[in-house]
Amino acid sequence: MVVLAGVSVIVFALVHLVPGDPIRLALGTRFDQATYDALRARSGLDQPLVEQFFGWFGRALGGDLGVSFRSGETVTSLIAERLPATLTLAFASILVALLIAVPLGTISALRPRSFVDRVATVLSQIGISVPEFWMAIVLILVFAGTLGWLPSGGYVPLTEDPGAWAQRLLLPAVVTGVVSGSVITRFVRSSVLEALGADHVRTAQAKGLPQRQVFTWHVLRNALLPLVTVTGVQLAYLLSGVVVVEIVFSWPGLGQLALQAVQARDYPVLQGAILLFAVVFLLINLVVDLLYTAIDPRIRR
Amino acid sequence: MTGQPVPQTAPSPDATEAGVRSTQRPPRPRWRETLGLLARNPTAAVAATVLLLIVLMAVFDETLAPAGPNEISVEDRLQAPSWEHPFGTDDLGRDILSRVILGAGVSLRVGFLAVAFALVVGALIGLLAGFYGRWVDDVLMRFMDILFAFPAVLLAIAVLAVRGPGAGNTALAIGIVYIPVFARVTRASVLGVREEVYVRASRSVGASDLRLLTRHVLPNAAPPIIVQTSISLAFAVLAEAALSFLGLGTQPPNPSWGLMLAEGRGFIDIAWWLAFFPGMAIFLTVLCFNLLGDGLRDVLDPRQRTLMAGGGR
Repeated sequence: MVVLAGVSVIVFALVHLVPGDPIRLALGTRFDQATYDALRARSGLDQPLVEQFFGWFGRALGGDLGVSFRSGETVTSLIAERLPATLTLAFASILVALLIAVPLGTISALRPRSFVDRVATVLSQIGISVPEFWMAIVLILVFAGTLGWLPSGGYVPLTEDPGAWAQRLLLPAVVTGVVSGSVITRFVRSSVLEALGADHVRTAQAKGLPQRQVFTWHVLRNALLPLVTVTGVQLAYLLSGVVVVEIVFSWPGLGQLALQAVQARDYPVLQGAILLFAVVFLLINLVVDLLYTAIDPRIRR
Repeated sequence: MTGQPVPQTAPSPDATEAGVRSTQRPPRPRWRETLGLLARNPTAAVAATVLLLIVLMAVFDETLAPAGPNEISVEDRLQAPSWEHPFGTDDLGRDILSRVILGAGVSLRVGFLAVAFALVVGALIGLLAGFYGRWVDDVLMRFMDILFAFPAVLLAIAVLAVRGPGAGNTALAIGIVYIPVFARVTRASVLGVREEVYVRASRSVGASDLRLLTRHVLPNAAPPIIVQTSISLAFAVLAEAALSFLGLGTQPPNPSWGLMLAEGRGFIDIAWWLAFFPGMAIFLTVLCFNLLGDGLRDVLDPRQRTLMAGGGR
């Protein structure tokens, strides 16, 4: 809660420090003093900053994030419009990431310093280092350009046309999934390695338990905690940080909305978006903590 | 092991910190020793060499580049890679190789500045929070939590919107994003050494806080910070490219790898080399910083695990 209040103050301050008068920008060439004053009064920009802040914060708590300067729509509806695309991409990416990371990380940990392990390490290093917008451009060139198998971008809701939805989702999900998956692979490898070396695993092996049982009950369960943590961090990042990939694939998500809001000095939209991201970040942290207690009975106490 | 109880890092309420465990460390390796060990790690040695070459390339860019960055020659536009133009030319007939070489300086300068800023501010905050604990810790780290709760890319974009685009502001924006990461790493590391015997011994003979911090705590808490510096440089270069790609970082006609990628994107169907080579340059630089960071971690701080926190990735 303290964090949320702090975030709100900083968001508000930051956004209002942005030079450029949004109303003047919105009016453009149709500028005349009377309309300008009227609009200014309507959006509350003529009030002192502190009053503006408390007004905004109070309404935000009630779910009213204000009205966009540019389009006149409410910020809540703008965000709601973009939310499905962002959620789809984020969850598809994390799925791709886990599908890559869990098997790859586990195999490398089971055979440390083997050929597979070395290959996996190199691949994850490459995945972390490759600029995702570059990978996106290359994939578009290959799959949409040369091969012509997939569309180069855009978004179709699942309910409209599931086939087109999947086609358009595949490339962006792979791009962000590979990057996140590379990060997660490293965590899976090191946490499985650590769990393998623990005393209780040796005890279980000494008791003569079958390898499979030792692995599922004693190793994987212990390796799950760091995995949950890093997956949470990655999910938070995917929900907020894939602006660049959204732009390259013309994916109508929240990142794109926020970038447009910055360019148009659309304060209410930018404030709303950043606030939402911060809330999401805190929520994910909360869920991670709850999952911890579910996985590890020692934390429950 | 000294037989002394090892002070454990306080369990953090924040999930992302769980990856860092700072406990007993080997005695501080000396510079020469560190370099020797690093040289025996082939991957890290190669990465360091390549980075050195990239830095040298950035320093001597004007002598090395076969053409000026903005030498326009319309009859040579969109030439495929050839002996004359190894990386081809862009839509204005500018030599891509020259622009990649000159872009190195921009990318590295922004990266180094950003990380230096984040390192100084973040490490100072982490040092004070970890060393003094109690309310100092509460206040400082709570503030870091707030900063950390911002989506990294958007925070940088917002800072750039306030300050306007350009190399210096890009460095500042990326630097601000990384302050909490350095503060957390430093704090965790300081908590690990704060109660060591030599610190208590020094305190008992009346050493001042300043002396304790500079002579004992900081040097011994340094290894994870050094590792983090190398990894952060990787992400700072990546972030600079991303921001320039979005049109918020380096402004045309200056050559910046991210900007070149953005410009080349429109020609991807007819001239792949426009976007390919700057992308390769970013990739190679970032990869080397990451590999060097891994090598440093193996040498300096084998116990610490990757802290992949926010900041672009």
